[in-house]
Amino acid sequence: MTPILRRTFLRQAGLSAAVLPFVAGLPSLGLAAPARPRQLLVVVFSPNGTIPTAFWPDQAGRDFVLKEILQPLAPFRDRLLTLQGISNRVRGDGDGHMRGMSCLLTGIELLPGNIQGGGKSIPAGWAGGISIDQEIRNFFQSQPATRTRFGSLEFGVGVQDRADPWTRMSYAGPGKPVAPISDPYQMYERLYGQVRDREHLRSVLDPLKEELAKVRRLVSAEDRRVLEEHETMVRTLERELNDPAAQALRAQPPSLEGGVADQNDNVPRLSRMQVDLMVNCFANDMARVATLQYTKSVGGARMNWLSISDGHHGLSHEPDSDTAAQEKLIKINTWFAGEVRYLAERLAATPEPDGEGSLLDHTLIVWTNELGKGNTHTLDNIPFVLLGGGFGFQMGRALKFDKVPHNRLHLALAHAVGHRIPVFGKPDFCSAGPLDLA
Amino acid sequence: MITVPLRRLLPILLFAGAAGVAVRCARVPAPAVVTAKGEHLYRTQCAECHGSQGQGVEGKYAGSLSGDWPLPRLARYIEQNMPEDSPQPLSPDQAQAVAAYLYDAFYSRAAQAKLRPARRELSHLTNRQYAVAVADLLRELEGGEPVQGAITGTRGLAATYYGSAQRGRFDSGRVVQRGVDPGLDATFAPGTPAWARVGSAEFSAQWRGSFLAEETGEYEFIVRTPNTVRVWINTEPGNPAEATLDVNVSNPTHPDHRVTVRLLGGRRYPIAIDYWALPEKAGAPPPAIALRWRPPLGSEQPVPARVLSPETVRPTFVLATRFPADDSSHGYERGLAVSKAWDDATTRAAFEVSGHVARRLDRLAGTRPGDPERARKIEAFAVRLVTTAFRRPLSAEETQRYVGEIFQRAPETATAVRRVVLLALKSPPFLYGDLPPAGDSAPGRAARLALGLWDSLPDRALTEAAAAGRLDNRAEVAAQAERMLGDPRARAKLREFFHVWLQLRYVEDLRKDPARFPEFTPEIIDDLRTSLNLFLDDVAWGGAGDFRELLRADYLHANARLARFYGLDAAAVGEDFVRVPAPTGERAGVITHPYVLAALSYPKSSSPIHRGVFLTRSIVGRALRSPSVAVAFNDEEFAPGMSMREKVEKLTRGENCMGCHAIINPLGFSLEWYDATGRFRRSDGGRPIEAESSYVLEDERVVRLSGAREVAELAVTSEQSAEAFIEQLFHHVVKQPVLAYGPDTLPALRRSFVASGWNLRRLLVEIATLAALPPATLPASAPASFAASSVTPSHP
Repeated sequence: MTPILRRTFLRQAGLSAAVLPFVAGLPSLGLAAPARPRQLLVVVFSPNGTIPTAFWPDQAGRDFVLKEILQPLAPFRDRLLTLQGISNRVRGDGDGHMRGMSCLLTGIELLPGNIQGGGKSIPAGWAGGISIDQEIRNFFQSQPATRTRFGSLEFGVGVQDRADPWTRMSYAGPGKPVAPISDPYQMYERLYGQVRDREHLRSVLDPLKEELAKVRRLVSAEDRRVLEEHETMVRTLERELNDPAAQALRAQPPSLEGGVADQNDNVPRLSRMQVDLMVNCFANDMARVATLQYTKSVGGARMNWLSISDGHHGLSHEPDSDTAAQEKLIKINTWFAGEVRYLAERLAATPEPDGEGSLLDHTLIVWTNELGKGNTHTLDNIPFVLLGGGFGFQMGRALKFDKVPHNRLHLALAHAVGHRIPVFGKPDFCSAGPLDLA
Repeated sequence: MITVPLRRLLPILLFAGAAGVAVRCARVPAPAVVTAKGEHLYRTQCAECHGSQGQGVEGKYAGSLSGDWPLPRLARYIEQNMPEDSPQPLSPDQAQAVAAYLYDAFYSRAAQAKLRPARRELSHLTNRQYAVAVADLLRELEGGEPVQGAITGTRGLAATYYGSAQRGRFDSGRVVQRGVDPGLDATFAPGTPAWARVGSAEFSAQWRGSFLAEETGEYEFIVRTPNTVRVWINTEPGNPAEATLDVNVSNPTHPDHRVTVRLLGGRRYPIAIDYWALPEKAGAPPPAIALRWRPPLGSEQPVPARVLSPETVRPTFVLATRFPADDSSHGYERGLAVSKAWDDATTRAAFEVSGHVARRLDRLAGTRPGDPERARKIEAFAVRLVTTAFRRPLSAEETQRYVGEIFQRAPETATAVRRVVLLALKSPPFLYGDLPPAGDSAPGRAARLALGLWDSLPDRALTEAAAAGRLDNRAEVAAQAERMLGDPRARAKLREFFHVWLQLRYVEDLRKDPARFPEFTPEIIDDLRTSLNLFLDDVAWGGAGDFRELLRADYLHANARLARFYGLDAAAVGEDFVRVPAPTGERAGVITHPYVLAALSYPKSSSPIHRGVFLTRSIVGRALRSPSVAVAFNDEEFAPGMSMREKVEKLTRGENCMGCHAIINPLGFSLEWYDATGRFRRSDGGRPIEAESSYVLEDERVVRLSGAREVAELAVTSEQSAEAFIEQLFHHVVKQPVLAYGPDTLPALRRSFVASGWNLRRLLVEIATLAALPPATLPASAPASFAASSVTPSHP
């Protein structure tokens, strides 16, 4: 076993407490058939803004042409919705990146705190409210028909182990960030640890039964009763472990390649592993909301796999006139689009269990970013690309708005799952109601 | 107020709860002809309702006929009351004959012992024993550092202040002060002493040390700071991934950061705090940090200096898995019940331990990735783990079954170790602490000593003694027991016993009616529990260890707050707890400790019945059966102006009540000198206290009782009281019936106890030694070291 795999293995073991309640008592791993068509939400984040000229379609409406960055999504053109002109209008303390990230899904100001941002910004803290993914998760979890084991799962790719407003977009409530899990082995443990634990348990039953039988012969007739009861318990456990109904997973866990350390150069492999796990957990209905966060705001990934050795964030500050930097940033963003495409493909290739169509027909992917454009740090024209058939929006369109607060998009997401809240985030930005995307 | 219809029932006292009564001195048996007549009468007139052997008949009289009344009293009762539904009473001779028959056939304790001989039953670890055993299993495997308990030296946490603040780091070149902070509650505002220490609003600090957890349970820690902080509680400090609390981003609007940690009582745990006062927005609150907690049964409060030490200790593994409650149908907790819930808990616990081991595998096995010997070392570690868990060496065949085969079949070592832990902790040799073939061997003795004194596994010294043949006789076993008393785990076990004995195990809420007792605050309640615990520890572990001191002490451990509330000499007391003398005659050890008295009270008033039952069972050691009828005490149903004593007398005057209340009430009334908060009083509702009453001893002699000190004297001069206490302690330590160790064991233990000057520590050693040795090695009479001695009862 390689040192790296062992390290990750030990770390994933850290989560076994989370699955313990499912080990003994052994409830069914399989889940009941969904009562009504499922709706799945995935928020994908990539950082540091985009290159607008290579991103936004020129023409609004149905007859749009995909530009270079969005080219990888061409096979899904009819299921795509680009939303130009959506602004993160939240102001207050913290720098543009911090607000871009921590207000992206929350739509509300940052709390006071001691995180010093760039420039002359005032130090700030965590977001002051819940994020839309968690709001929808809580809505799903509040009803038996949509409740799942986890509710939501937060995946990361190369996020780094640091907790601040640049690294967190998901919030369970004011000042309560939800940390993404960047290690696919740790995520695997969380999702399927009980499967492995059952295997361990099954493997020791025979010697355990032998031992009990041996000890039973050594004790007095009166004490034998206790050991006989004990043996009965072990036989019950064995029956439960071998009960096929209790083990049925709709989709078998993916087999992850071993020893992929949480390091910059492994980002492409980590990305695919995380997507595979996410699709698998949707197939097993373990959660209906997921986030997939690539690095973080101000993320400095060095995309050597694209032959780009500069850090992403550094590049994003280069002026428009630096054509070499622009080319690299286009390549970087195109790569992100390719990962979104992989996710869409995997969802499209997986049939909806006990339902109609594919998982993609039930999913809405929201791909977004904390900035509109890296070198201006604008929070206008945040790149929002929606993909999939799950939310009843009219897809296959390029829409153009004029500085519409992104709170209205969040309201539209909530309303699309039947959660008809009047405001989300900062109420001032919600007066015009949910964005009409249907 | 009466919830069950009154029915005249034979108020014969049963063995109830833990307060069983000692075997009485030999009695001359009745002539055979009398017994034969009695048996005939019993079969024809009594058995229909009471069963052929007094076991009771469902739907008639279900209770069993057994108890501790002397024969004459039994006969008198039968003569006056039986048969219940017959108009034709028994003649005095007939009653005498029936009583003589049933006394020897099944009523007396000796008869019960013959009918149902007590035996040592196979029992699994209790919940507490399981948690302690796995904690110590991992501690032994990590190198066996001694368990650290009470704080003896400097109190407080070691502090280092730095004149700079760099998030996540400390600049050793910028140390501005080192020292010991007694507690942690500082606001660094200009002009304050705290400010003078750092001289700037930008600084950082580290606190290191350990804290003592007095009780087992959930501790909620509250770190209150508007700044950045990282806290490690019972984990390895330094590694952010292991931090118990990691507040990187300050949140001045919500400065309380809470985390709950489960801990085993009587041990010290490491605590480490890294703190940074970084620049905040203008107008933010000044830098500040406070360390607070809410211990089990306590209220939120600053972590007191009393429990803090600047010395660090190793973390202890504390099991999170909860087990179903232990069987306590015999009056003490034992591992007799094997249920699905218990089996599931053992599975979950085994997974919990295996996960912990897997995470630390290289360190535990003394290896590292890339070590060419790694696989061999890990397998050797697995053998050590099973050996330690089973408390004995493994045979070659067992080594193969528990380790070898698993390593051969598992895909890799980490998986193999998980499975070894799983199998070992689910196996009988671990779960049943005392099992053949270890039974009569030296490892078996070591295992029983460790369970008896520590609720745990043998430590290295004990295991080595067993292996070297140094547990072969009584003296060697006793010497080990003596050594083991010095370990904090022995204190923890005795502390737990005291709480059982004083019926404080499940005390939840001592709050009183705020209108009547506005000053009886949660802080007072916390202080009282501390005061009681300090007193118990002082008596048991300091000085002569004299049991009688527990009942006779005329002082309280108090801080300023308690002294003020209880009218003690407050001038003598600072913030720390010290012994404060009480006014003459006011206090008698645990009997009048305000924590005990408050627990045995109603929210608005004293409760002579609760107090009387406690004194009967725990202090004077007499048996009571459950009430024949359920009666609620409703204060408003009594005429205004009645004293509590008058109310209780009215409530319990029925003949069916007085069987027990003739004993309970006089004892309870003797504590009428204390109100619901345990404060001494001379009047109740404007009327002087009437505490004096007649109390009938077990041999039917009558004495006058008027206060707690007389109850204490009663207890420390009675063989029965002493034996009842010893029996309770024995059951708590050994978790087997004392009668299973022979009818002479209890009297012998009493004689030895008295001869030692009622020394609690000697008694613990005697009990643990006795239980560690196999029954065959017990001498027929008293053990050699037991000095023949007796107490002459003398009554006030």
